[in-house]
Amino acid sequence: MDAGLLQQMLIGALLGLSVSLPLRCGQLSLATPGFFAIGGTVAALLSTRIPAFAGTGATSPLPALLLEMGLGGLLAGLLAWAIGGTVLRLRGIYLAIATIALVEILRVITLNLPFTGGALGIFGIPQPFATASGYAGFTLVLLALVCWLCARLEQLRLGRAMAAIRDDELAAACVGIDTAAVKLNAFVLSALLAGVTGALAAHFLNSWNAKVGSFDASITTLAFVVFGGSRTWLGPVIGGLVLTALPELLRPVGDLRLIVFGLVILLGPVLFPQGLITPQALHGLGHGLLGFGQQLRGYGHQLLERASGPRRP
Amino acid sequence: MAGPFRLQRRTEPSARTGIGLGGRQLSALSLALLGSALALGGCGGPDPEQQPVNLSQGVPLGAVLAMSGNANVYGQDQNTGLNLALAEVNGKGGINGKPLALKIEDSGSDEPGANAAFTLQINRGVLALIGPTLSQQAFSADPIAQRRRVPVVAPSNTATGIPEIGHFISRVSAQSSVIAPLSIAKALQLNPGIRRAAVFYAQDDAYSSAETTIFQQALTAKGLKPVTVQRTQLNDQDFQTQITAALQQKPDLVVLSLQAVDGGNMIRQLRELGYKGAIVVGNGMNTPNIYPICQKYCDGILIAQAYSPELKSPANRAFLRRFQASQGGAIPPQLTAQAWTALQVLAEALQRLDRRQPLQQSNLAEARQALMAEILSGTYQTPLGEIRFTPEGEVIQKDFFVAQVRMDPGGKSGRFALLP
Repeated sequence: MDAGLLQQMLIGALLGLSVSLPLRCGQLSLATPGFFAIGGTVAALLSTRIPAFAGTGATSPLPALLLEMGLGGLLAGLLAWAIGGTVLRLRGIYLAIATIALVEILRVITLNLPFTGGALGIFGIPQPFATASGYAGFTLVLLALVCWLCARLEQLRLGRAMAAIRDDELAAACVGIDTAAVKLNAFVLSALLAGVTGALAAHFLNSWNAKVGSFDASITTLAFVVFGGSRTWLGPVIGGLVLTALPELLRPVGDLRLIVFGLVILLGPVLFPQGLITPQALHGLGHGLLGFGQQLRGYGHQLLERASGPRRP
Repeated sequence: MAGPFRLQRRTEPSARTGIGLGGRQLSALSLALLGSALALGGCGGPDPEQQPVNLSQGVPLGAVLAMSGNANVYGQDQNTGLNLALAEVNGKGGINGKPLALKIEDSGSDEPGANAAFTLQINRGVLALIGPTLSQQAFSADPIAQRRRVPVVAPSNTATGIPEIGHFISRVSAQSSVIAPLSIAKALQLNPGIRRAAVFYAQDDAYSSAETTIFQQALTAKGLKPVTVQRTQLNDQDFQTQITAALQQKPDLVVLSLQAVDGGNMIRQLRELGYKGAIVVGNGMNTPNIYPICQKYCDGILIAQAYSPELKSPANRAFLRRFQASQGGAIPPQLTAQAWTALQVLAEALQRLDRRQPLQQSNLAEARQALMAEILSGTYQTPLGEIRFTPEGEVIQKDFFVAQVRMDPGGKSGRFALLP
């Protein structure tokens, strides 16, 4: 597989995780592409306008990338925090509509600001990595870190409060969970992750424009979670990886590839209504891998014993 | 809480502790993920770019076109042009006896799709690439080709700054800053009394907003500062608000930078709401696909073109013959002629290169480098007329045309009639 495709897949996985965070407390937010666009715009502007970030113009320094990711995430998180209190009073489909509107507002603002390049966007974004493999390696580390945090979240007070709100918001409020604060935290975390991912994606894509944060992107990222499963951290990751890779992997099918891709999206939820990865599957997978590791260790011991066998008295 | 946001029913009671994965299980999983990804990413083997050019299937070229997504009508026109040109080149003996092998890949209409298709083609070992369809895609995908030193000939990118992406990027599509002002000049020549110009463009479309800047500069240069500039959206159908606002300014010239569908609707509604003056349109409406949309109202609109089917040259006659044989006598659109031209440029450059330095004797990286120099140094007799390139890869085209749409009496079909 090509490292460039791998990088696209990893970005898909990160976006899937971003959509899944509010879903963990039962909030269907479609705002992820909006925050993704903010992160990317911050990175694109800094790295094309500020000499210290731009490096030589063709290559940019890695610390600059890290700073852009930090700033992009921070700005997205701040916006989410500022509007979250109001927006999160809405529930279900109304919240979804409000977040779609947010994405649309951000898109129109980006189109009309004097410094974001209008419809053509910002191009000639310098490269912190010389090759796609460099990006993929860096993003892999980021994804592993985010996965670890998301898995840890399940054991933390915040994560459990989120699960409680998802299962029954009223009951959660009755046992003393500040539901508004927990939902806001989840929303801000989601925005932060999308912003960080956007900053990375802007460099990788070489150019950045308002089309990135569109309604289509909202639906695509939601599909990652629906396809992969929203109950575990692995579900959105698998959904993002698979659905981003599939159109490319289906190229040998020729003209039929988009039809096959559509069929997969259709059949996924029909055959796996809870997504590909359910909590049980993840548990089984974890045990399986652990068992496999122990088996390997067992074989190793046996081999060692056999090798050292004849020397025994 | 009920509603569509609960994507999954709660099925098992273990939600009490969250989904517990022990630290060891988790690290085992992460390691597996990491390991598999590394295995996928890192493929060893000799560097294919230092290997000889793979000529086993023919001389390898690649094209990346928007065959799906909202730009697919352009991609289809280009696909036709490339396939006709391929048949023409291979019918005349290919590259000094070796056939051209052209692989066409769909980029969709977005940037990630174009990047993926470019990378795929480059990894296949193509000598050069044609594409991508949209300027926005070019800003994203061309840097990949530039970094990997693969020649690109763009058949339809008209935005400013495309050849400036790098040495390996060139185009046969003249940029809008060259073409657009010609139609304004022609409108003023036909009707010297024009005083008040109204401008419309789709502000969320890259082509549209780039071209309108050129149009507005051209108008201002002629002393016709636009009396109103109206913004629309690419997917709009109804333009009554903008048209009413514009007509209050009593314009006698309307300048449109819109794509085929919204532009066609705009013309129809302009005329229906009583506008009688001249209409100049941009490159997005440079296709016979507008006839079914604005029908009889298309009549009389002015357009500057980089290609005219009425050009009498041997190269254009060869193109017309092939096009009309395959499309039942239809009139070829500009995008098809430009796509043909892109492949013709590559084929002629390859023929010259192969005669000087046979392709089978050089490795892939050398051949790509030499081909780029060869592309830029030639002069080509194409359906667009005579073209050559600046050292940056910008096209220098000899002939441009201003045409006026003449609709048939039935209002169903028409033609771009070349103005003298």
